[in-house]
Amino acid sequence: MITLRKSTDRGHTDLGWLNSYHTFSFGGYHDPQHMGFRALRVLNDDRVAPGKGFGAHGHRDMEIISYVMEGKLAHQDSLGEPREIGPNEVQAMSAGSGVIHSEFNASATEPTHFLQIWIVPEREDIAPSYQQFAYAPSEKHNTLRLMAAPDTKNGAAARIHQDARMYAAVLDRDNALTYAIPRGRHVWLHCVSGHMDLNGIALEEGDGVAVSDESTLDLRGTGAQGAELLLFDLA
Amino acid sequence: MSDVNVLVVFYSKHGTTEKLALAAGLGAIQARANIRLRRVADLADRQTIDANASWRENLDRMSRDYVAPRPADPVWADVIILSTPRESCAEIEGYCSLLAANDSVAGKIAAPLATGGEDSVLRPIYAAAAGAGLIVAPPTKPGVDALADARAFGQRVTQMARSLKSIRT
Repeated sequence: MITLRKSTDRGHTDLGWLNSYHTFSFGGYHDPQHMGFRALRVLNDDRVAPGKGFGAHGHRDMEIISYVMEGKLAHQDSLGEPREIGPNEVQAMSAGSGVIHSEFNASATEPTHFLQIWIVPEREDIAPSYQQFAYAPSEKHNTLRLMAAPDTKNGAAARIHQDARMYAAVLDRDNALTYAIPRGRHVWLHCVSGHMDLNGIALEEGDGVAVSDESTLDLRGTGAQGAELLLFDLA
Repeated sequence: MSDVNVLVVFYSKHGTTEKLALAAGLGAIQARANIRLRRVADLADRQTIDANASWRENLDRMSRDYVAPRPADPVWADVIILSTPRESCAEIEGYCSLLAANDSVAGKIAAPLATGGEDSVLRPIYAAAAGAGLIVAPPTKPGVDALADARAFGQRVTQMARSLKSIRT
């Protein structure tokens, strides 16, 4: 079964400095029909004005992943020194038993565009931790690059405390990929930018797709420039 | 969503009291509270602040990270942690005076906290909070690590609020 979540049906928050689209319920946007998919609880598409951001606030019992498409995102938390990430970098924070942090657009002139992803951890009260890593753009070019998983060891991807795997890919126009869904698993696919086709369904920027009881996903870049996508393999 | 809301209000010039407030807030989160963090504005004028590089730089940073307390905050809160530097209580005392004009805070918990852990520093704030109708939480006996003490304090006042709420319902 494949269920399309159109970008235009997402929740929306516009605070001037923040323009955010919510695939699932978040903050002031609450829709009981869209509270997440499997362990994937939040997928926010955030555009943050230069120099602006999210002031100090707390989190608990959540795996929080930031995936930057444009600009720079500065992060400061109760675990340590300030950090900064940009495109082709991923940041993951296990809030666990409690974290206070802030996130800001690190540039005074350029906007930041990033995805904020929350995954419910497999258990509560995990010791808080923070990770970030960089990768070469070629590693996700026409191939699925693992970004987060529970069993990653060498720092090439973020280790998260849930039976979930997050992949990213940039698909050129007419380039195709096949993803074999392990038996009993579910997939959420998010079209980050551009246009693509999933098992014959046309997707554009911001669209999401829930997939259950399927064995194969055929992904193909379409439109003028193909697409960037995130794929979540979920229990 | 947690059953206890903790408002952390602090005044800090150079970041020391901010750290104490954050530790108390983290303790509240560890005790499964929702938190809001608010910095009370300086009473000093801008010229005085600008003459002190550390104060100015920290103020610029904290102005980005925190907003000032809003009228809806104490209405939302079950606990109001009041974190003050030992050398300057006037800012938090002033905030307590504002609370006194707000009937909805009566019966909620005030949890004063000072750098240096000195009870005597907090006496004006105890009086101001009690005058606002708040139930004032007693201080924690100081240990060797002020931030660990503040975390434990945040946990303890969250549990107090939870116990009070269960009695009232």
